[in-house]
Amino acid sequence: MPAPLLELRQLAKSFGGARALRGVDFDLHAGEVHALLGENGAGKSTLIKIVTGAHQPDSGTITLEGKVVAGLSPAAAHRLGIACIYQQPALFPDLTVAENIGLRLEPGSALRRVGWRQRRDRAVRLLGQIGANIPPEVEVRALSMPEQQLVEIACALGAGARIVIMDEPTSSLTQKEQHLLFSVVRELRQNGVGVIYISHRLEEIFALADRVTVLRDGQSVGTSAVSEINEAALIRMMVGREMTQIYPPGESAPGNVVLKLRDVGCKASGVHAVSLEVRAGEVFGLAGLVGAGRTELARILFGLTPADAGEIELAGTRLAIRSPEEAMNRGIAYVPEDRRRHGVVLEMPVAENMTMAVHRRIFKGAWLRFGAERSLALDYIRDLAVKCSGPDAPAGSLSGGNQQKVSLARWLATKPQLLILDEPTQGVDVGAKSEIHRIVRRLARDGLAVLLISSDLPEILGMSDRIGVMRGGTMTAVLPGNADAHAVMSAALGQTR
Amino acid sequence: MSENSRSRWKSLLLRHETALLFVVVIEWLCFNAIGPRFGTLDNNFDILRHTVEIGLLALVMTPIILTGGIDLSVGSLLGLCAILFGKLWRDAGLSPFAAGLVTLGLGALAGGLNASLITLLRLPPLIVTLGTYSLFRGVAEAITRGADTFTNFPASFLFLGQERWLGLPTQMWLFCGVAVVVWLLVHRTTFGRSFRAIGFSPEGARYAGLPVRSRLALVYVLAGVVAALAAIIYTARLGQAKADAGTGYELFAITAVVLGGTSIFGGVGTVHGTLLGVAAIAVLNNGLVHARQPREAAGMLTGALLLLALSAGVAPKLWAAWRSRHHASPSPAPKST
Amino acid sequence: MTRHFRELSVAGALILVLAALAIFAPGFYQPQPLLSLATREAPTLVVACGMALVIICRQIDISVGSQFAVCSVSAGLLAAQNTPTALVGLAAIGIGALLGAINGTLIAGLRLPSIVVTLATMVTWREALRLQRQGAFVNLPDRLQWLGLSQSSGQWVLVAAAVALLAALGLAMRHVAAGRFVYAVGTDAEAARLAGMRPQLVTFLTFVFMGALTGLAAMMNVAQSPQVDPKSGTGLELKAIAAVVVGGVAISGGRGTLWGVFVGLLLLACVSPALTHLHVEAYWEKAIQGAIILLAVVADGVRTRKTDR
Repeated sequence: MPAPLLELRQLAKSFGGARALRGVDFDLHAGEVHALLGENGAGKSTLIKIVTGAHQPDSGTITLEGKVVAGLSPAAAHRLGIACIYQQPALFPDLTVAENIGLRLEPGSALRRVGWRQRRDRAVRLLGQIGANIPPEVEVRALSMPEQQLVEIACALGAGARIVIMDEPTSSLTQKEQHLLFSVVRELRQNGVGVIYISHRLEEIFALADRVTVLRDGQSVGTSAVSEINEAALIRMMVGREMTQIYPPGESAPGNVVLKLRDVGCKASGVHAVSLEVRAGEVFGLAGLVGAGRTELARILFGLTPADAGEIELAGTRLAIRSPEEAMNRGIAYVPEDRRRHGVVLEMPVAENMTMAVHRRIFKGAWLRFGAERSLALDYIRDLAVKCSGPDAPAGSLSGGNQQKVSLARWLATKPQLLILDEPTQGVDVGAKSEIHRIVRRLARDGLAVLLISSDLPEILGMSDRIGVMRGGTMTAVLPGNADAHAVMSAALGQTR
Repeated sequence: MSENSRSRWKSLLLRHETALLFVVVIEWLCFNAIGPRFGTLDNNFDILRHTVEIGLLALVMTPIILTGGIDLSVGSLLGLCAILFGKLWRDAGLSPFAAGLVTLGLGALAGGLNASLITLLRLPPLIVTLGTYSLFRGVAEAITRGADTFTNFPASFLFLGQERWLGLPTQMWLFCGVAVVVWLLVHRTTFGRSFRAIGFSPEGARYAGLPVRSRLALVYVLAGVVAALAAIIYTARLGQAKADAGTGYELFAITAVVLGGTSIFGGVGTVHGTLLGVAAIAVLNNGLVHARQPREAAGMLTGALLLLALSAGVAPKLWAAWRSRHHASPSPAPKST
Repeated sequence: MTRHFRELSVAGALILVLAALAIFAPGFYQPQPLLSLATREAPTLVVACGMALVIICRQIDISVGSQFAVCSVSAGLLAAQNTPTALVGLAAIGIGALLGAINGTLIAGLRLPSIVVTLATMVTWREALRLQRQGAFVNLPDRLQWLGLSQSSGQWVLVAAAVALLAALGLAMRHVAAGRFVYAVGTDAEAARLAGMRPQLVTFLTFVFMGALTGLAAMMNVAQSPQVDPKSGTGLELKAIAAVVVGGVAISGGRGTLWGVFVGLLLLACVSPALTHLHVEAYWEKAIQGAIILLAVVADGVRTRKTDR
């Protein structure tokens, strides 16, 4: 057997305190489609970024055709024939399709002549090869996301890439585009290209892949030929951890309905006809795959992208939420997914972050009261067991889990009726994770309505009193809290069987 | 406990503002040694008088740069407001006091133009204020037809710019008032908090439910009002209003702010730092004149000083990046370089 | 059609202004004054070309007016020492490139915001020049006048040179890879890096090129007057930026063409003679320039907000 195209051994990578990868083994042969499967946060994107040279691993080796590669840079990866089709393509939005392909593929000096006809012909040829019907002279900003992905694939094809990584390429494709994509992938395989195929859709993996590797918590759990495994076994491998972690017991005594949605939708964010009820004292889990519309729903409720259809009722009153301020004043709190960009201001101290949403309440007449701020911060630091050197420590100096607690404290300080948590434990170490779980439980017990968005299936199962599953921008199922993993995963994957 | 207080002293000494204070003091002592008349009380009052307008602009530029923005139009607005003030007093027959009040309102309106373009249409402050930089100066020139100047203001008005009140140049009292207000606004109210949050992370501020747009609008309107105040003081100091009043003042203001330790990228900075930055520039300007250096040297040095302060601001970051790149690189660096 | 909508709409506005002039002020259309107008605007066109590149690269340079003055005075001083004209021209371009390289180093090398850097260099060069000249004009030898040609042929040469430069640059920005790199970096520097370009180098070279063009423009200016005013070039940056923005180059980088800039400059150049012919006082010129810049960015802002939805 020839040496594999790509071989990864014991790759590890940490960001700050969080360990994204803790020993991953993976190999890829020429003419093979190797699927990579795992929940969100299992380490797939970190792995891709290491292979494409965007990140350097802390330890472990990368071997390309028998040669160990050290210090892989994006340019070197490109040279070695590694191409990646991201979910968010890295194209130039202001330039045309033909030029985007041209800029990627044309070598040579900066003073060479640009052959526009040649560029056009190449674009037509490459796009034709994958059967994409995209005119080469339109600007990329006018294309839909799947069309942009097809342009990326055309680039990879034109570059003669030997390793092509596809990061959930089908999450936004139509049926027809998907068939097209499959034939493109099969063609690549035929030509001896190794394809790393990342997807959540099991039926795709069974239709397309030769082998599959499952990642969980930054480790490779197992690799198997697709012909030797079935769906149930794969799902078990993905969720397998559910026994290992103990969740605080739910003692739900749900009270009045706090949030009631009827056919809520927003065209701009692709959410439509969502109906649900969340009661005081319950944790309503929101499961689904990335791109299912869960964060988009949260953004609607928090007034970041206001709804344009349906009715929102909060504690029995119908209302329109047009801005975060308005949501806040109505008693809605949102702990966002992207902690570093949205959840906390990294450069500002813990105390200032914690009081940021309650300026009006604790700073009467807009005058800062440092004493009141400090005592509020100390209260929450104690209450939520935030590990920091003090209220004056910059939030950026804290570990991920503690940053999350700061973000949580900011919103608890507003004394909300409804708390929306978006991936509250993503990239958080195990200890902080179970602490956050206990806090959420306690808040529910104290009568708060909690909407918990999570891609971590055991977390959804362990924490929720009821589970809503979203898919394709709408609610597809509401399951009881004691539903099993298989049922939730099946609903999220759109499996009817 | 003593450990703690010692480290607090150390951090106070290492602060940008402390270093700048030393620079100002040394600067003053040097010029005092060179120029025989430099150290006199009269001359120091002169420095203060000449600094008030630029100081006012620098004060209001501080919150703007804290939010990550910039306002290039303040110098032009000063010129426009000086003309409008003169026009209101001479041609509309208002008393200097009434004309002053109306001018302040017009300044707010002009600031409001910047503010609405920046917040409602989400245009970059840079290009908006570059446009109004030209617009305000152009309107001033159009009103005066490039030649008209306003003079012969009553002595009661000139008192504001040329006399002393309670031992200090009169306009110093106004300046101190504005300085205290801006200092309180930036360092003691939730407004200042929001400015810094917006400067660090506009999205983060929005997700925290802060009213980002109205806060941004506030800083630009404030800049308009204070530029109008500076225009009135300028007119009172010189006893005349011309269309070219305050040309290039925006540069001095930005320089003072950056020199005072405010990051041009937003978020970091203090008002007292800005005041020290203003002092450093003012002493330099006046001192060079007393050391028999031409006035242009001061302008040149101010520009160079700004570049130096900016470079010093990013130097540690670049150095760290360079070092980490060279330490992380597994392949040995070529020996020849 | 839609791709060149912006350029065409400016051209439409230009035609309207020209038509209005034809009806209300036919005196505008006389060959000699028109040629003089074109000659006066030729240096501005050269600077506007450079500014277009800088803005397409998502930067800005407000120091060009001062660079222009430094280059003009240096050229004048060299010419006064009997340096051959060709060498004077080369020196002006070289000095411009050097000044551009200083901007470029600070902006691309230290990653400082271009607006503040060029604001500082604008004042530094201007004051240094004032310090050195103390307001004194530089008298030029006669042989530099119109590059040693007769006035009218000299005028034709200058105008033709500026237009030829625009055409060459317009073609190069479209048909030479380096030109496309400028667009790519202005659109998305990170994507450019991933595609194997060196965005910082592209930015640096753009500023050097801007400086060199400013030097060339200075030389063209020196050739049409008997003296060099050390204050020359004041406000040139605004004229150039106005032409670029009005001509449809997006201030957010990556979009726009030199043809648009050309039309934009023609429109602006017609404004002040149009004002005189239509009996509006010339003092309004600066205000109108500012208003036009604001109008252009507001129009673009409204348009992109609509398409983003």
